[in-house]
Amino acid sequence: MIKELFTDLKTYKLKKIKTFLIFVLVLVSSTSCVAVKEYNKVFLNDADMALKAPLSERFETTFHIYREAAAGANGGKTGGGCGCN
Amino acid sequence: MVVKQVAVVDVIKKTFCVVFMSLGFVTYAQQDSTQVYKKKVLESIEIDVLLGYYEQEGTHAAVTGGIGNEDLQNIAPSVVVRIPLNEDDVLTADVGISAYTSASSSNGNPFNTAASSGRGAVQSGNGDGSGGGNGPKGTPWVASSGASRKDVLTSINFSYVHATEDRNRYWSSNIGTSFEYDYQSFGFGGGFTQLWNEKNTELSLKAQVYLDQWKPIIPTEIHQFDLYGVNFLTNNQSYFSGVSVIDKDGNSVASYLPSNFSPIDDVNRNSYAVSLGFSQILSKRAQFSVFLDLVKQQGWLANPLQRVYFADQANFYIGNRSSIVNYQDSSNTDVFHLADDIERLPRNRFKYPFGMRLNYYVNEYLVVRSYVRRYADDWGVNSNTFQLELPIKFNLNWKLTPSYRYYDQTAADYFAPFDQHLSTQDFYTSDYDLSAFSSHQIGGALVYTDVLSKFNLWKLSLKSISLRFQNYQRSDGLSAFSIATGFSFVLD
Repeated sequence: MIKELFTDLKTYKLKKIKTFLIFVLVLVSSTSCVAVKEYNKVFLNDADMALKAPLSERFETTFHIYREAAAGANGGKTGGGCGCN
Repeated sequence: MVVKQVAVVDVIKKTFCVVFMSLGFVTYAQQDSTQVYKKKVLESIEIDVLLGYYEQEGTHAAVTGGIGNEDLQNIAPSVVVRIPLNEDDVLTADVGISAYTSASSSNGNPFNTAASSGRGAVQSGNGDGSGGGNGPKGTPWVASSGASRKDVLTSINFSYVHATEDRNRYWSSNIGTSFEYDYQSFGFGGGFTQLWNEKNTELSLKAQVYLDQWKPIIPTEIHQFDLYGVNFLTNNQSYFSGVSVIDKDGNSVASYLPSNFSPIDDVNRNSYAVSLGFSQILSKRAQFSVFLDLVKQQGWLANPLQRVYFADQANFYIGNRSSIVNYQDSSNTDVFHLADDIERLPRNRFKYPFGMRLNYYVNEYLVVRSYVRRYADDWGVNSNTFQLELPIKFNLNWKLTPSYRYYDQTAADYFAPFDQHLSTQDFYTSDYDLSAFSSHQIGGALVYTDVLSKFNLWKLSLKSISLRFQNYQRSDGLSAFSIATGFSFVLD
């Protein structure tokens, strides 16, 4: 069973996922010592610092989903829900 | 004297008692107020009213096999309402419509165009293949007046978010539906977000399912073949009865047969997505996030309205034979190439995009927002996306955000341009959205923030007004422009 799992992990797709998980693990371990206190988050709490696209960008995201083959990984739509690519 | 001292001590004792009792009350009151007051996840009802307009021009219409007029206009109003149900829970309703007119889609049936003579004329076609006079005409370069030229997509979505007392965990769920003339969708999902390290680190996991269904509309000539079989050109009930079909030399023939076509047996298209997100504060001025989506799609992943032409099969036309030589030129207004089949794509697709955002607060006037994405799927598409936004604050009220976005992709394994596929292939598409190209998008957003909520409409206080505009240029010649405006209100 474990051997099969490792065999699968060698495949192209899962390799990428594994790389991502390792990347996240490294990030977590390397940055967990950073702790900005709440009272020091004035700049980080600025609306433009939000780690997501503004609501008004949704129309662009929609036409990108139709006009381009790629979608997802932006915290929003990943595909599906429309007759798009 | 002793009596006086006793009295003084008594007074001091009483004073201490009163002070301590007061302190006790104060402490109790403070504890009580701490228990009663809890900062809400959302303080009051927020309403966003959005209106977007989009238009495009291009010469690679997928409905007509990779050439033709791609003009499209779309207008999309929507309303998003966020309602705090209590201190911890927020309900969001998102309702919108998206109405479009499309030259490409209109040519599902290109023969009832202004350039053609319509159904009556089809019956009275002169049959000599000249296409002159009353014969039906069509062209991929002119929009038809067919029913598929316009459509309205209506969507309704609800989402619910619950936060734990310490605001370190968030649970979310959503449900929604959308429907248009030839497509309907039902979606639902859920997610979980965990914060730790004094809310400096965040990990989120989301799952989303879409259960979609085509109500297939297929090109007219294929549809008639589907209805009446091999004799569809001569069947009295057929749209093409009495119409002259011509070959590449302009001779009337009866051998046109889109025999590669087989009916769509399964109209479902389901999508299953798992999204993993991680974000981290790097300093007082910088933070980043990474996203990984794993998306599995199953079902009819092609668009039934899109034509395909084979290089190894004879070409057949309806209309003016003298225009055949100019078929791929926009000067062709009166001859139409009959399809060999509709687009066919594998029943499965696995996508795995990986994205990253990095934002940096330079100073009170400038923030740098960046986004990169690497995308790959098992259809052979690989793409890169890079986006940079620079919000510049002029003062408390006005902000301008110039932006640039670069995108490129490789072609899907099943893509070939107009009339270059072979009939022996299992899968084929001439949709240039699946071709190799790069694109550049330049635009900006102007935002007015009403800091003091001076403007009121009924019980609504204006928060902000935004205007976004984007110019999009694709290397295959497609160009687009979009403009969107948004009004954000808070309910008093």
